[in-house]
Amino acid sequence: MKIIKDKVAKLSFVALLITITAAMFYTPTASAHGEKSKAAFMRMRTIHWFDLNWSKEEVAVNDTMTISGKFFVFSGWPETVDKPEISFLNIGIPGPVFIRAGSWIGGQLVPRSVSLELGETYEFKVLLKARRPGDWHVHTMLNVKGGGPIIGPGKWVTVTGSMSDFRNPVTTLTGETVDLESYNLSNVYFWHAFWYGLGLLWVVYWARKPMFVPRSIAVEAGKADTLISPVDKKVAMAFGAGVIAIVAISMGQSNEQYPVTTPLQAGLLRGIKSIEMPATSIAVKVEDATYRVPGRAMQMTLTITNNGDSPIRLGEFNTAGVRFLDSAVAQDETGYPDDLLAEEGLTVSDNSALAPGQTRTVQVTASDAAWEVYRLADLIYDPDSRFAGLLFFYDAAGNRQLITIDAPLIPTFI
Amino acid sequence: MSASQSAVRSRAEAVKVSRTFDWLILFTLFFVVLGGYHIHYMLTGGDWDFWTDWKDRRLWVTVAPIVSITFPAAVQACLWWRYRLPFGAVVCVLGLLLGEWINRYLNFWGWTYFPVNFCFPSNLVPGAILLDVVLLMSNSFVATAVVGGLTYGLIFYPGNWPIIAPLHVPVEYNGMMMTIADLQGYHYVRTGTPEYIRMVEKGTLRTFGKDVAPVSAFFSGFVSILIYFLWHFFGKWFASTKFVESV
Repeated sequence: MKIIKDKVAKLSFVALLITITAAMFYTPTASAHGEKSKAAFMRMRTIHWFDLNWSKEEVAVNDTMTISGKFFVFSGWPETVDKPEISFLNIGIPGPVFIRAGSWIGGQLVPRSVSLELGETYEFKVLLKARRPGDWHVHTMLNVKGGGPIIGPGKWVTVTGSMSDFRNPVTTLTGETVDLESYNLSNVYFWHAFWYGLGLLWVVYWARKPMFVPRSIAVEAGKADTLISPVDKKVAMAFGAGVIAIVAISMGQSNEQYPVTTPLQAGLLRGIKSIEMPATSIAVKVEDATYRVPGRAMQMTLTITNNGDSPIRLGEFNTAGVRFLDSAVAQDETGYPDDLLAEEGLTVSDNSALAPGQTRTVQVTASDAAWEVYRLADLIYDPDSRFAGLLFFYDAAGNRQLITIDAPLIPTFI
Repeated sequence: MSASQSAVRSRAEAVKVSRTFDWLILFTLFFVVLGGYHIHYMLTGGDWDFWTDWKDRRLWVTVAPIVSITFPAAVQACLWWRYRLPFGAVVCVLGLLLGEWINRYLNFWGWTYFPVNFCFPSNLVPGAILLDVVLLMSNSFVATAVVGGLTYGLIFYPGNWPIIAPLHVPVEYNGMMMTIADLQGYHYVRTGTPEYIRMVEKGTLRTFGKDVAPVSAFFSGFVSILIYFLWHFFGKWFASTKFVESV
């Protein structure tokens, strides 16, 4: 009986080892950027990205693509997040799979942090140069000091070719063209190897003599001073003088070789130009808003007044990058990411054209699995249960008007 | 063999055992220090040591020596006090640099593809050698703290300048001037490191014109003196045998 028990125990142990080993070899690709984990209110009530365009879905190494569009800095910015007075237009990619060849807000190059104003809309563009082959989820992104990264919609882009072909040439103001991929690399290796070697030499000088036990005995016996010989002191002095000389000479040589150097550049860019959005002639009042948990649908009661001179219809509700469209009014022609697009996700109780001067109260339902997939339903767990988004109205000629809404949200569980 | 008999039978054998013991201790010390010092330096020096666009003439010069003189001071205290061995600082720095290079090459380059010319570590060897030399020549922890600590701070920037000078050559890029190091930071996207957390060129040290690096180095040297004292006491405490004696 004992033999059987031992065998079972042994086999169990072997099985456990095999399981652990097998688990080590299971390494699925981590390709997300935590966009779904970001608190829903952060995505709904901070930066609203719209009119986004990824210029390419496939790009070869060394070729470029752009992401362009607009973002609205929401007026009802949450109290719990610092205002975007110090922000940085970033890009959400898994490391430098692209290089950021340029980024602009309102036509201004923004390699540094910028100050943005609440209630303003900005036009942006990011120029990317493909570096590493693979399928990459490329997100818009704005980092806000005191708020963290605010990630926008992402789209899969395929990079083809070989990374070994990637080149990143830059011409300096001293007229030299260098490749940033390898520039200064041999110099870095040389000096680190040189100093490491010198350090090793110092250690080896002492390590070739008896070290711990005999020296400890001598120190305990009060003979510590005999352990350092005059030769040791001469060697130490040579090392000390040598180090100072090498540092002085190498610094002088560097200054001769690079006579023109400047300090690192830093600072905050203020006065970033926002775009003038067309004056709106539509007034929208949110009477109430509920989120029906089992149906994955948000329902709003809106009172819409058309103060303009042409009839209008509601075509789109955009929140947290998810676009709910009424396909009878608006269609996407930009190749917007499928998972963020609910082409028939917007239902309006009466979406006939609202004539100039008229007011109408309608029930608007935005429903799609995206509520669940993108964890926007988690809004009901937020400390400040409000939602926000952009409404896009269209007239018969296709002219668009953008209205922002911001109101409390009541969840319903039955 | 009784308990009172020696484990070795000749002087030659005793020497051999002692040398084996030496190498075992040195090997263990090197890797233990590598681990502890590396974690400490990454937590306190962190980005200043990771990226070329953080290696500026003010804060990097100030911070790196202050936070890196810690382990050398402690290990020196132990090795000099117990064994009269003057290589504590160099052993620490060699351990740290080995750990850093493994990390930068395998993780930063091999895993996430940041070019090595953008994420190489700072060179701390010149300061470490001088720290050891001052201790050996003076046989005094006070002198080592004052002279060695100050030298450690002062030598840091010139010791690194041959490595970083090429990266401070200016570039005109889309109508803005920046250094090559700035451009590296801009090109090689770090999603979790937005530009505003880069702590460079901050402060009120504006009355020295462009020559702020020596002033920063002096300040770093002064603080390094204090940190040396503090960590030297940690080292002495750590090297004490009274805990063992009581057992």
